[in-house]
Amino acid sequence: MAAEEGQVISCHTVEEWTAVLEKGNESKKLVVVDFTATWCGPCRFIAPILADMAKKMPDVIFVKIDVDELKSVAEDWAVEAMPTFVFIKEGNIVDRVVGAKKEELQMAVTKHSAPATVTATA
Amino acid sequence: MAGFEGFEKRLELNFSGDDPAAVAEGQDLGLRRLSFESLEKVLRAVQCTVVSAVANHYFDAYVLSESSLFVYPTKIIIKTCGTTQLLKSIRPLLSYAAEMGLILCGCRYTRGSFIFPNSQPYPHTSFRDEVNYLESKLPNTLIYRKATVMDSTDSDHHQWHVFTASDGTHFMSDEFYTVEVCMTELDPVLAGKFFRRLNCKYSGDIDGKEMTEITGIGDIIPNAIICDYGFDPCGYSMNGVDVDRYSTIHVTPEEGFSYASFEMVGPGFDGLGEVLKKVAKVFRPGTLSVATTSAGREVWTRVKSALEPTGLKCRSVAADEFPAVGSVVFQTFTTRRN
Repeated sequence: MAAEEGQVISCHTVEEWTAVLEKGNESKKLVVVDFTATWCGPCRFIAPILADMAKKMPDVIFVKIDVDELKSVAEDWAVEAMPTFVFIKEGNIVDRVVGAKKEELQMAVTKHSAPATVTATA
Repeated sequence: MAGFEGFEKRLELNFSGDDPAAVAEGQDLGLRRLSFESLEKVLRAVQCTVVSAVANHYFDAYVLSESSLFVYPTKIIIKTCGTTQLLKSIRPLLSYAAEMGLILCGCRYTRGSFIFPNSQPYPHTSFRDEVNYLESKLPNTLIYRKATVMDSTDSDHHQWHVFTASDGTHFMSDEFYTVEVCMTELDPVLAGKFFRRLNCKYSGDIDGKEMTEITGIGDIIPNAIICDYGFDPCGYSMNGVDVDRYSTIHVTPEEGFSYASFEMVGPGFDGLGEVLKKVAKVFRPGTLSVATTSAGREVWTRVKSALEPTGLKCRSVAADEFPAVGSVVFQTFTTRRN
């Protein structure tokens, strides 16, 4: 599963997924999970935008999970529509974006990738 | 000088799989397997682009720069406003569908009356031009065809234009119905909520989210997953996805040609009256028309009883039957002072 920084990591097994989560917890980096499906047109629309974000923000871990491949994970995380983006920081879900929404996604990534010591202003 | 044309053109195409052996995994996806590049090519022919989207197990829903697109395995619905040439999507769509082994078995085209009819490009220059264009693009197998202009007796003489074509093999499910609502003369204060705030550093889907909340649109179907978008300097679009049902709203808020549409497609449910009441309250329009399309006949009766308590008076009702589609009932309402 060793992947270059700046790419979206595809997790195909529960083991791979658990390993990525652990890596995120240890490094205190933001983990952005894209729940996607092969039959989902909107997922194809946002895919290049997500890949671009991954390239520009190597300090964020971007992960892709196919809801048919990892059904149990999709169910655990209550994924009903695709794409669903879940934001995890130090083991906690801090945000969720449902749908291929460019600006909302960018804003959430920017907001949650800021270092913990910076206090958020409105 | 003409303003933006809010009234949409709506095209629905139904397909059937040609190879029974290909009911294998891949084929079940049908049109949903269309690559995004192919979809973009179709939309380019219509002069619009995708701004936001979401999908579930039943269909893909896209918010476009000028309205909406819904892709099911064997059905596609495109609804566009402004001066888009919607019918130009037919040829590329039929071509891509054929590559997948899908054949067109039904077509339905509907629209209201344009506020600025002289601004429309060919083939939308007149209903006759649209029908001629449709006839030339549809395969000969669609032998049951009907084109009707449904009239009203309200003061603005709104009309509802319907064209259907079918090969007689596909029949609209008894369960599913389509409700198309067109509203004009929106309450100016309420319409004002669909203008982007000055000094707003946010854009697009974030602005749309705020508009959805402050206008009460988010409460119309509380369980729906919403994709919304606020346009610059004004205007709003949303798709709401609720399992196998969708709703879609588009707003042109400028005074003088203000317009809002609400459409819902899905299996029948008891809450339709409440939904229409909420829609009327969000916009408080001076005039409102509702076209219901269903295999059964009882849908339209709920419309009048839902809307009259909101201050809208029913001015006309017209009904017609269309082969393989069912009944279309067109009702117009205006506020009592009109």
